[in-house]
Amino acid sequence: MTNSLLQSDARTKKRNAAEARFRAYGFSAICVAMFALVILLTSVLLNGVSSFQQTFVTLPIELVEERVDKQGNRDRAEMAKTTTIGYAPLLRDAFVAEIESLGIETELGARDLADMISKEAAATVRNRVLADPTLVGQTIEFDLLASGRIDAYFKGDVTMESAALDGNTSPEALMVAQALADAGIMETKFNWGFFTRPDASVQRPEAAGLGVAILGSIYMMLVVLFLALPIGVASSIYLEEFAPKNRITDIIEVNISNLAAVPSIVYGILGLAIFINFMEFNQSSPLVGGLVLTLMTLPTIIISTRAALKSVPPSIRDAALGVGASKMQSVFHHVLPLAAPGILTGTIIGLAQALGETAPLLLIGMVAFVREYPAAYTPEAGLFGEASTALPVQVFNWTQRSDPAFVERASGAIITLLVFLLIMNAVAIYLRRRFERRW
Amino acid sequence: MEDMIHMDRAMSAQQDIKISAKGVQVYYGDNHAIKDVDVEIEDKTVTAFIGPSGCGKSTFLRCINRMNDTIDVARVTGDIRIDGEDIYDPKVDPVQLRAKVGMVFQKPNPFPKSIYDNVAYGPKIHGLARNKADLDEIVEKSLRKAALWNEAKDRLDSPGTGLSGGQQQRLCIARAIATAPEVLLMDEPCSALDPIATAQVEELIDELRQSYSVVIVTHSMQQAARVSQRTAFFHLGNLVEYDTTDKIFTNPQDPRTESYISGRIG
Repeated sequence: MTNSLLQSDARTKKRNAAEARFRAYGFSAICVAMFALVILLTSVLLNGVSSFQQTFVTLPIELVEERVDKQGNRDRAEMAKTTTIGYAPLLRDAFVAEIESLGIETELGARDLADMISKEAAATVRNRVLADPTLVGQTIEFDLLASGRIDAYFKGDVTMESAALDGNTSPEALMVAQALADAGIMETKFNWGFFTRPDASVQRPEAAGLGVAILGSIYMMLVVLFLALPIGVASSIYLEEFAPKNRITDIIEVNISNLAAVPSIVYGILGLAIFINFMEFNQSSPLVGGLVLTLMTLPTIIISTRAALKSVPPSIRDAALGVGASKMQSVFHHVLPLAAPGILTGTIIGLAQALGETAPLLLIGMVAFVREYPAAYTPEAGLFGEASTALPVQVFNWTQRSDPAFVERASGAIITLLVFLLIMNAVAIYLRRRFERRW
Repeated sequence: MEDMIHMDRAMSAQQDIKISAKGVQVYYGDNHAIKDVDVEIEDKTVTAFIGPSGCGKSTFLRCINRMNDTIDVARVTGDIRIDGEDIYDPKVDPVQLRAKVGMVFQKPNPFPKSIYDNVAYGPKIHGLARNKADLDEIVEKSLRKAALWNEAKDRLDSPGTGLSGGQQQRLCIARAIATAPEVLLMDEPCSALDPIATAQVEELIDELRQSYSVVIVTHSMQQAARVSQRTAFFHLGNLVEYDTTDKIFTNPQDPRTESYISGRIG
């Protein structure tokens, strides 16, 4: 047994070894987590970034009067009788003429060539004409969506070999597409439509967008914000500052903590039973979605608000009461401003959680295929009463479709959702920094 | 009622009695913290409460402005009167009472606001100032009384939490006197301060005696001897002895008081 400080004894060695081991465990745990995150982000980005690009064909189309306005009186109601089927020949003729004028030789017939343009294109042309009937009879340049397979070819997902086995396209079509791209008629551009268009049917993945889903998610977040924040903050203030501490408040407290752990799908069943079956709100509406998400977010907001209120030093309350402030004045003048950063952070985290929630929305019908942009208010449907869908549900929807082009769309939607979440978290961090005060 | 009239007559003979407590009991849940305390506190006098930790002196102090109301488990019985009015009468609003009975706490606890706002807060919520000029005047007067004006006048807009510990405590005193109280309760106001700041605050307490009835709880017997005219010694929830400070420190009647001031218990 030596007493030298220069030599560590057995006990110290053991202690140091234990510390080193613990550090190693912690470090490896972090590494595993980071690795999983990197894998997730890489796979989503690799799959999804291409959905922000889309292939378009630039075509001059003659809007022949006999076809689009049979009466010749530019009456919108009359012209609306011509469906997209009536417009298809215009597009086909223009496309074939364009290919011939460029001197591209192909064995494909007009029908196969027309399939290279999205089925959505005719609707694009028709909408433009109905919006501005004076265009009839003129030749207008249109930027039209190419079909999903052609788009995938330019993104490298479809090759000559795979096209040979594919019933929806052919190597010849790809060669034509390549020739058109060389001629500058077909090009891949940033896809604003991905954020503005509504969902599209299974046959036309190239036209599918997140417009309705983003709008629906925004409406729901508004509902959640305007209901969950005041209700949550008011109930936390009451519970924390005013309510007597007795058995009943204890039970309430335990139940709130339990509610935070209830699986979200249960809230969906609750919403279905109460808001749709009993209160008869519209199915699939952002109002019902928002109400369900409000129920789900409330415990999160209440718990974080109470934590924020608890963290305000009691000396501040004493000081306020000591100069003769009433309970309410001490809470609203002193405690609440100090707790505000914590409350805001909790609220935004709650909102972010609600934004990404899928399961309860499936049960209240937000999984429906919605083509129409929901209005914020209509007299018939009320506030936020029109059918809509939501970002996470859109992801769920697209992952279930068989066309490979939807894989890319789903990943793109996930990226969009993640960007929204990142923005919200960044705002939370900013607000916390901005309002944090020392005492 | 008979009692009170009798009492009043007895008092007017001596110095004016500001606060009179009779048979005060305080329970924290099952814990009997204050046992049957009778005390009469004079106006324009500094009264010190001394005693070992946990003897109930702070608890009793907090009864005088009903700060114990904020503790759920605390229960106060007995009779505490300020100027003959029962402050535990159901008709009394503790908010009004606390404007009349200011309090300074053990740890300086300025609001995380500007120096000006700290002092102006009380007058604002009690509507003591009719306009900004009035308020400015109250703030200046209070800061002057608290001997902080010279140090703070150039930075009224900077945060009160940025001051040194002693300045913060004087700010808290200024805040307490801004509502024009009649009684000032101080719960160990110097325990978090260094000797220099302590000396400043003690000097201030002595000046405040001109206008207020000051009750101070202190752990330091030297401080009690320096600043107070009357001293009450608490032990295990009982008021053991209450007399002029001189008498308590030079000629205590109770053996417990004697052992405490000579350092044998506490």
